[in-house]
Amino acid sequence: VSKYLHFESEIFTDRHLLLGALADLGYREVEEGEALPLYGYEGGRRAETAELVVRRRHVGRLSNDVGFRRTDAGFVPVVSEYDRRTLLDGRFLVRLRTAYSERAIEALTRRLRGTAHRTVEGGVVTVRVRF
Amino acid sequence: VPEVECRLDPATGRLELHIKGIVGPACDDVAAVVREVLGRPALEQQTADYAVRPRARVAPRVRARRP
Repeated sequence: VSKYLHFESEIFTDRHLLLGALADLGYREVEEGEALPLYGYEGGRRAETAELVVRRRHVGRLSNDVGFRRTDAGFVPVVSEYDRRTLLDGRFLVRLRTAYSERAIEALTRRLRGTAHRTVEGGVVTVRVRF
Repeated sequence: VPEVECRLDPATGRLELHIKGIVGPACDDVAAVVREVLGRPALEQQTADYAVRPRARVAPRVRARRP
């Protein structure tokens, strides 16, 4: 082993991978634009804006819009406290990060022109990318 | 065989990558590709064999015969 890297941030650096990960979770309708307004579950406009938005009609009856604000570091989720607790049983961001990582590993395999060997043990997914 | 071992824990969303089989700073090139795809990691460590220098292969000396 010569190098070890560890990722768990809530920042999503790649727009394409993020859109793919959202689609994997069933959120295929994503609005894109500059500083789009976000609305709460009662239809009221919230203070925050975002560049990628899943409107609440695609999220859930009692949910708010889910947004991703573009920053220099990447896309930062703008998710209400309620949705953090309830969306996908309170695991929305963890599942999104997992789906994002799966797609990132696929992208890495393509970039390295490698082959991927996948195993699952104890719930942990191991992918060996040989190149 | 050089490889990147990716360990993904769906319970936490945590992703760990080990770059293996490349001695010395050459693995920085692979790490750069990883960072390009995945962004800046929360933690990045060089491990023991990072400091190992790849051995240069010496070409066999050929003596020219006198005519």
